Amino acid sequence: MSEALRDKAAIVGIGTSKFGRHLPESQLALAAQAFKAALADAGLERGDIDGLSIHIGWPLGVDYDQVAQAFGLEIDFVNQAWTHGRFVTGSLQTAAMAVACGMARVVACVNVLSFTRERDILGGPHDFEGYRETGGTHAETPHYGLTAPAGGAALAMQRYMALYGATGAELAAVPVALRAHARLNPKAVMRKPMSVADHQASRMVVDPLRLFDCCIVSDGAAVVLVTAAERARDLGQRPVYIAGMQGMAAGRNEFIFAPPGLGINQQSGPRPASAAARDLAVYRSAGIPREAIQGLYTYDAFSPLVLFVLERFGFCAPGEAAAFVQEGRIGPGGALPVNTSGGLLSEAHVAGWNSLCEMVRQLRGEAGTRQIADARALQWATAWGDSVILRN
Amino acid sequence: MGAYEKPTPRINPDNARFWESAHEGVLRLPRCGDCAAWHWPPGPICPACFSERIGWEEAQGHGTVSTWTVVHQDWFPAFKADIPYTVAQIELAEGVRLTADIVECPADKLRVGLPVEIVFDRVTETLTLPRFRPRRG
Repeated sequence: MSEALRDKAAIVGIGTSKFGRHLPESQLALAAQAFKAALADAGLERGDIDGLSIHIGWPLGVDYDQVAQAFGLEIDFVNQAWTHGRFVTGSLQTAAMAVACGMARVVACVNVLSFTRERDILGGPHDFEGYRETGGTHAETPHYGLTAPAGGAALAMQRYMALYGATGAELAAVPVALRAHARLNPKAVMRKPMSVADHQASRMVVDPLRLFDCCIVSDGAAVVLVTAAERARDLGQRPVYIAGMQGMAAGRNEFIFAPPGLGINQQSGPRPASAAARDLAVYRSAGIPREAIQGLYTYDAFSPLVLFVLERFGFCAPGEAAAFVQEGRIGPGGALPVNTSGGLLSEAHVAGWNSLCEMVRQLRGEAGTRQIADARALQWATAWGDSVILRN
Repeated sequence: MGAYEKPTPRINPDNARFWESAHEGVLRLPRCGDCAAWHWPPGPICPACFSERIGWEEAQGHGTVSTWTVVHQDWFPAFKADIPYTVAQIELAEGVRLTADIVECPADKLRVGLPVEIVFDRVTETLTLPRFRPRRG
């Protein structure tokens, strides 16, 4: 990855709607709450927005043309990807590239998910994506009843447990840590205390994943505004710079919910003994070493994804993540806090944008009781190998 | 037989031979006519050597469970009566992995590495699903 885009773009505004379950507002209404909040945060007017980057489209979210029409925008740059969590990083990266190269002045990443209203599209007969066969998009194989994304995460975790001897009780440390973060976040949907025993008592959904290993089904919106670094310095907020980026990996050795070499779908060959050079590009891109990362933020739709991203980016060796996450290491005040607002597992499922907003709050020093002391560099990274490092 | 309400495979030019063969009770997989690599999923080009000489050859029909899950959630109404049911990835002797369900196997016998063999289940007049069971003998 080139260093050409280092610190060339910045996040200058963030906004969220209320988060909850069975919210009465439409997707557009939630998006409008977040959009107005982001403009106010940045000190910008809606006329300043000339780009849109979206990856959660209709019917779960909103499409770019609905947003432009409903909010009265005049847009000159659009990026819209699949309605898929996997494109969260690409959506932000495309916004950064657009403003850095002058294709747009300010790009709004508009993200809204009304999971409770659109419940029937998740893994059921109305989930068009669930009909894709022969191992995609998350190993769905509909004629055998594997129709939901959780199935792919379960297949990967089952093999991981067999290879490394990890247990479901060890995996519990992930949702328990994220709940501990959420308990410090008044906005989080799930704030009841959770213990390992609570996790172990929750019902099995898709073995070995229990209910508390699966993200919450919630409604909410988050908007992130991205502009070029020189413009960012003239705005009201302390800029949060996009220091480094690396793209998503794809190929026969990749499966969306498993590190390379685990042996899911057609992944072949042994797992590498340490992180691959391509997965360390983001640190070179940012000029910030992994050792300087003070918090990790990731797409935690299912708790095994947290283990896999830790191994993929070399925070621990293959097979060691289940031990690594014990004893509060990723929880509040831990050596490597993960998803400090509670993530998809406890705050809300806003496709990871809730966690990206939290990174910005942390780097501005606005995270209150959750604040990482003297936060200077935080990393967004996913189990499928893409990443963004933010700094202040 | 009554109406079959579970999803059925979407047949296309790349995968038709697989489903036609299964309906005849034979497991056939794509194999490159140039480099001899077996591959899955079916496609128009060999992903190993990029050749377009893709043939279909009979596979042995056995392998080992490389991973598995038991589904307890009724995401899909047509599968509700089957809960809990087992879906696995099977690493075939030819080296590729198929995803299919496991039958005739108690849940406590499931494990990574379990040897399995194919069985063919004619579920409609036009569709036969390959399934796998613990290998006998």
